[in-house]
Amino acid sequence: MVLALSLSALSSTALAHSGSLRGDTSGLAIPTWLFLATGGGVVGASFLLSSFATDRRLVSAIHGWRRRLSAAPPALTSLGSVVGGLAVAFVVVVGLTGPEDGTRNAAIYVVWVLWWAGALICAYLVGDVWSVVDPFRALARRLPTLDVSYPERLGAWPSAVGLLALVFVEVVTPLADDPRLLAGVVLAYTVGTLAGAATFGPERWFSSVDPVARTFAQYGRVAPIGRGDDGGLSLRLPGMALAEPPADARLDAVGFVVAVVWATSFDGLVTTPAWADLVGRLTELGVPALATYVLGLAGGYLLFLGTYLVAARIARRTSDTYLTTAALARRFAPALLVIAAGYHLAHYLPYLLSLWPALVATVGGSLGGALAAVTGGSASGVGSVPRAVLPGWVGSVSLSFVLLGHLLAVWVAHAAAFETFPERVAALRSQIPITAAMVVYTVVGLWIVAEPSVTPPGVGP
Amino acid sequence: MPPGEDPAICPHCGRQFPRERAVTLHVGLDHTEAASDEAVEAFQAAYRDERTELRRFQLLALAVLVVLYFGFLFAFAIVG
Repeated sequence: MVLALSLSALSSTALAHSGSLRGDTSGLAIPTWLFLATGGGVVGASFLLSSFATDRRLVSAIHGWRRRLSAAPPALTSLGSVVGGLAVAFVVVVGLTGPEDGTRNAAIYVVWVLWWAGALICAYLVGDVWSVVDPFRALARRLPTLDVSYPERLGAWPSAVGLLALVFVEVVTPLADDPRLLAGVVLAYTVGTLAGAATFGPERWFSSVDPVARTFAQYGRVAPIGRGDDGGLSLRLPGMALAEPPADARLDAVGFVVAVVWATSFDGLVTTPAWADLVGRLTELGVPALATYVLGLAGGYLLFLGTYLVAARIARRTSDTYLTTAALARRFAPALLVIAAGYHLAHYLPYLLSLWPALVATVGGSLGGALAAVTGGSASGVGSVPRAVLPGWVGSVSLSFVLLGHLLAVWVAHAAAFETFPERVAALRSQIPITAAMVVYTVVGLWIVAEPSVTPPGVGP
Repeated sequence: MPPGEDPAICPHCGRQFPRERAVTLHVGLDHTEAASDEAVEAFQAAYRDERTELRRFQLLALAVLVVLYFGFLFAFAIVG
């Protein structure tokens, strides 16, 4: 890939929401409705095609393919969390003492480019790297705990709420641009997480409450490398871990997966002109902008969740089964993670590629400045921050990631259905409403992607 | 479980199904070692019989695929 390095200043709002996937629609040669219909049609067609893969031996061979990997030595995992701890410390220090301009501050790049884009991409393409590097978990495990019993009824719902809250904060505050605020939030997160883990026990906290750890863990299940049943590492085909029968029929896991899907969509939704229009109209009627954002986030989430649960309910009828709606919903929800991963990759890979020179430059500048301060020399500081300009075809490649995500999701759901139903026709028929829900999510996601990108109104700096 | 139903029950694990055929297939798939020889034979017969139903589903799927294909072909031709 030929990248042209250009020295240009980044506009601060573009920093968080930029991605060469958006705003490309002036280049779209077909009307939006056809673009959306094609996306939906591809998902539907892939379900229809999957109905030709009905040989159980083939499906279980693909699903069950495994290779054991040698486990990483414990020293490496400890080193990982030390690196993570240093990175967090770096973010806090540079966030508080570095340049106030977000586009020049390394903390912003480390958090949004290296971690939220880079590490998350690693999580679903390779494996859950955060579980190795997470310093909060490593620290929490070494601290004493109160072991207060966690209310079982809550399950993983707090992490779903937490994830939505995180996205909300990122959208309505200048968290993506203001290094001081970012450092403050990281500190608050540290305190809150350690306190929570000390209260309920780290394993419980990080699996059910901490949205960050759970997001990485869930995305990690899309990846080929993961924890096998025996605790060692195993290699499997991408997404196949998601077709494993779940341990329970609880809806909290469904709630979290839908939160992941909605969080990605909402992040894009608030930068559409249609949203700006809505906020404008409601503000005129006297509704505060912030309230619109809250209602949009919560309302959209409930709509997405409702769509999926209705689909599961219809699946109960089309497959003619005694399994409950909740059990069906739980069974097929993991497939949605692949769709979310596809969108994340499409949006954040170009983002990562265009901003990694800036990451390197600002981190280098900070470390150079620190070194100079320690040795008494002088550092030049960060000059103009370079950014890579990506060639035009990156947008099309990104769109193909969305497509691949959907194709894989349909296959994962197909494999899961075959695992669940002894009758193959019932398995196929169960997928009709599930595929329909996926089509709905696809159309919404593609519409957001097709709209030009504007600054979210009423919030921000 | 809706009331008034008469479920077919798996003799190995007690799981309930709406139809006898579902139990036969389930026993063959999930209780392969514990199944008797007749059960395995019944499973294989049921697995083969499923194919007629599957073929009907696949034919319908193919028809919808063809309609989708030509529909999009025309849409792109008219619009593009």
